[in-house]
Amino acid sequence: MILLILLLIPFVTSLLLLLVNNAAAVKKIALVSAVINLLLTLYLIFSGSSTGVATQGFVFTGSQFSLGYDGISLVMILLTNLLFPFIILAGFNREQKQPKILYALILFAQSALIGVFLAQNAFLFYIFWELSLIPVYFILLLWGGEHRRTITLKFFIYTLAGSLFLLFGIIFLYQLTPGLHTTDFSVFNQLVIPESTQIWLFWILFIAFAIKMPVFPFHTWQPSTYTMASTQGVMILAGVMTKMGIYGALRFLFPIIPMGVVFWQNTVIILALIGVIYASVIAFRQANLKKLIAFSSMAHISLMVAAMFVLNYYSIQGVLFQVVSHGVTIVALFYLVHLVEERTGTLELASMGGIKLTAPKLAVLMLVVVLGSIALPFTAGFVGEFLMITGLFQQSVWFAVIGGFTMILGAVYMLYAYQRIMLGELRPDLVKKPDLRLLDYFFLLPLILILLGLGVYPQPIFDLVEIAVVGMQNLLIPLADVASAVAN
Amino acid sequence: MVGTPTFINLAWLVPVFPLLGFLIIGFSDKGLKNNMAGIIGSLAILLSFLFTVILFFVMKSSGQESATISMFNWIAIGSMNIPFAFLIDHLSITMMLIITGVGTLIHVYSIGYMHDDERVNSFFAQMNLFTFSMLLLVMGANYLVLFIGWEGVGLCSYLLIGFWFKNPEYNYAARKAFIMNRIGDLGFILGIILVFFTFKTVTFSEVFAQAAAFPVGTAVITTITILLLVGAVGKSAQIPLFTWLPDAMAGPTPVSALIHAATMVTAGIYMIARSSVLYNLAPITLNIIIVIGLATALMAAIIGLKQNDIKKVLAYSTVSQLGYMFLALGLGAYSTAVFHVTTHAFFKALLFLGAGSVIHAMGGEQDIRKMGGLKGKMPITYWTFLAATLAISGIPPFSGFFSKDLILNKAFEHNIILYILALGGALITCFYMFRLLYLVFFGKQRLANSHPHESPSFMTIPLIVLAVLSVFGGFLNVPSLFGGNSNFSSFLQSATTSLSIEEMSHSTEILLIFISLALLGFVIFLAYRTFVTKTSIPKDDSVPMPSFGKVVYNKFYIDEIYAALFEKPLGFLSDFFFNKVENTVLDPAVDGIGTLTARFGTLVRKLQQGNMSFYLFTMVAGILLFIIFILII
Repeated sequence: MILLILLLIPFVTSLLLLLVNNAAAVKKIALVSAVINLLLTLYLIFSGSSTGVATQGFVFTGSQFSLGYDGISLVMILLTNLLFPFIILAGFNREQKQPKILYALILFAQSALIGVFLAQNAFLFYIFWELSLIPVYFILLLWGGEHRRTITLKFFIYTLAGSLFLLFGIIFLYQLTPGLHTTDFSVFNQLVIPESTQIWLFWILFIAFAIKMPVFPFHTWQPSTYTMASTQGVMILAGVMTKMGIYGALRFLFPIIPMGVVFWQNTVIILALIGVIYASVIAFRQANLKKLIAFSSMAHISLMVAAMFVLNYYSIQGVLFQVVSHGVTIVALFYLVHLVEERTGTLELASMGGIKLTAPKLAVLMLVVVLGSIALPFTAGFVGEFLMITGLFQQSVWFAVIGGFTMILGAVYMLYAYQRIMLGELRPDLVKKPDLRLLDYFFLLPLILILLGLGVYPQPIFDLVEIAVVGMQNLLIPLADVASAVAN
Repeated sequence: MVGTPTFINLAWLVPVFPLLGFLIIGFSDKGLKNNMAGIIGSLAILLSFLFTVILFFVMKSSGQESATISMFNWIAIGSMNIPFAFLIDHLSITMMLIITGVGTLIHVYSIGYMHDDERVNSFFAQMNLFTFSMLLLVMGANYLVLFIGWEGVGLCSYLLIGFWFKNPEYNYAARKAFIMNRIGDLGFILGIILVFFTFKTVTFSEVFAQAAAFPVGTAVITTITILLLVGAVGKSAQIPLFTWLPDAMAGPTPVSALIHAATMVTAGIYMIARSSVLYNLAPITLNIIIVIGLATALMAAIIGLKQNDIKKVLAYSTVSQLGYMFLALGLGAYSTAVFHVTTHAFFKALLFLGAGSVIHAMGGEQDIRKMGGLKGKMPITYWTFLAATLAISGIPPFSGFFSKDLILNKAFEHNIILYILALGGALITCFYMFRLLYLVFFGKQRLANSHPHESPSFMTIPLIVLAVLSVFGGFLNVPSLFGGNSNFSSFLQSATTSLSIEEMSHSTEILLIFISLALLGFVIFLAYRTFVTKTSIPKDDSVPMPSFGKVVYNKFYIDEIYAALFEKPLGFLSDFFFNKVENTVLDPAVDGIGTLTARFGTLVRKLQQGNMSFYLFTMVAGILLFIIFILII
């Protein structure tokens, strides 16, 4: 029941908001709704059981409206419901056009995302997957910046094209199921699919996820979309929606077509590692701050993809840990970008400098988040990256070396950006603005505390996903052994 | 002694004091006035120091050689269990004494030195954070806790090099230091991961216990030691990752003394000494360390001959001395390396603080060509600086003599060529140090309208204490030749296992000492003739130099070479990826698919012209095809 409530609270609130006309009230109601959802999520996690399925009546094409979770879903739900209150808070005390529609769309997106992570069959998964795209499309289109029409269109068509392949894949799996056809994951997981089929089916299913994450070379929609998107829009995209791709890959590929995964494993890892280097190298010559962070996010996600596909225990633990760590970091980072933009009136790094002189507290908090993003020990980023590199190392030393380059390149471009914005002489044309306001502390301090807290004591996240990761690992170990035996 | 072990278990308090200092100063920010930040910061380190001293005596009296203090499980998943734990043994307590002892003096000195800086509070907050990280580094009971401290000191170094952040050059120097260290850290972390996969643990005691079972020269151990060495090379500024350290002099001088001379840069030496069990199994790596150490010692010393910035001379001297410590490590003489770390902490901190006192007096001037004649104006600074100069030059009975002589002896036992090269480096060291001393304190005052004065007592008292340590510090480890029993080395014997080398006879030892003393005396005389009697002052930058002199003056153009080899190609690659790959191949390819679809759409549109009969025809044809299809299947 609680799962349905988690799904319905944002959905119902989203409809209710359309009846409210006061802008401030709209934001407050949205925030309250998101906070309740977060509290419910925490209750769900701390109440104990790490798996659960609740099936509601609704029957369609042999698939029920069935919600459930395991450790992996829980991490995703936790991340979603943790970030949405902050995403909503980011709009407080700021002038926004048509707030009631905006917040209705944001909550609608939240609801759809929760649906994606809770769906127990592929049909439902697909519905929510596509539903989540609609509010985000409008958020980007109506509240975006320059060139929003063409960029949003490209984003929309690109992701939609990927989804089409996914739909085809789901239908294909559906007609393979025995007896009364179904799209239940539990049935899909039992399917015996010949290896030759798995090999081509892999790309049909993977392409949608690869675009969403994004994986090199399916990433070209991302930098321009991030740059154009409003702060809240980019937070949803980078904070949560990138994780849909990771979740989808874990849900569809590994349990259903493990042989396809093993067959393409090295290809995907190499593509992802190319993405790590490619995006990092591009990032450090970007003139636009948001674009720089867009490429940095791509580098981080690419490392997660590489680690995910080495298919060992440490790497998958690391990836799921990094899901939370990256989400929190990137949302905090985009908020800081917003604060900087309010002061400089531009995103061009060349016309920034010396903000630390007028806003020293902003500078300190930005430094902490930047350090989290370059994975300094005692921030969550370090724990995630350490485990992922450990996992990569177990597969191949060279994977670890190349993946580890993020440690160096990340420091190169993030410190460059930080110094360019904050240090140096104050530029005379800067908008005079006071240092951090109370609201900014409310936004940044909890996120920073989470980053530091998980860096010092990461165990809660490990425990949350332990059973699911072991299950996934058991699924793949025999196959990986077979593959390595064949290779030798 | 029932109560004793419990007391050692309180050792975790040692890093807590500076952490609290950091938090208090950091959060009260502008609320602290009139030296309060400096007093709180210094007291925090002093408390740590006193606590460490008590710990030291408790350990000595109880005979307990090591204690592990587990705080909590940091990362515990699958078969990986990494506790957040401290290891207190003779090696870590030695390092703790240096860090907190020298640290206290430098903090007190900074109260005077940073008095007029508007961001003095940030300064002390960061210095306390540094001390906290450095203590974690030497107290960690496993490689990963060491790594927390390792990266933590790197961060503080970054912050303090760029402390005066309005200057873009300083910011660049700070970033360069951080990135070069990160290059080393990648090697280090990969080494740690390989340790984990080899031993299923990263805890020192467990790793070293298991390593005993490996034969000498095992490939995996060699790989581990090389990877760890990469980290040490970055942190301790050895070839090829040394160019950040001279640039790091952009930070305030107390920072150079604490971080870039006495403590952080010796972290690499500490780490290798800590891993002595592994390094003893990897003779190839030890030979690499010898080559790196000696090459760095010589090259940096040569560059030091031509530098005119007082802090740059000392920086290259630090790089060079770190090279000697590496040489000692490579010879398997780990406790000797740590002994040189200790004496070097005394005299190099003193040299930097003395330089700070001079810079303070000269109103910020750092060019030694513009100094001179300060001997009478700043007597305390002069006498303490002289003590340190004699110590670093290896004149008996100053501290540097004992530690450097030990390294030279080990080199002699290993290979006479090593000895000659190392001795040559020592002579160069002596020459550039006396050049510095003579140019700054002797002769006539060269900067016309300046009125140098002795520094306030906040600054001179630490100078005097460090001078005492620099003079007498060597007596910690008096060799048997002088009737001592090498207390320091034997104290460290339980924590580091030095390779046993045949003891040389006393007559050889005496001979070597006489040779080096005679040469040192000659070098000092030469320097006196050049810089005091002949009063030859290095020329202005505009005067052309002989070609080799120019190469040395320009630090062998290594910065320029690195820029051409790494920075420029990376920038080029970045532009290539973005302008060519991203914007002319990948992105247009996607758009191309879009355009193709649109073209196809135009083509297909022709099928829908509103012609009813055509629609009917296609419909029937479709149905027929469908039926045929089903029938066939």
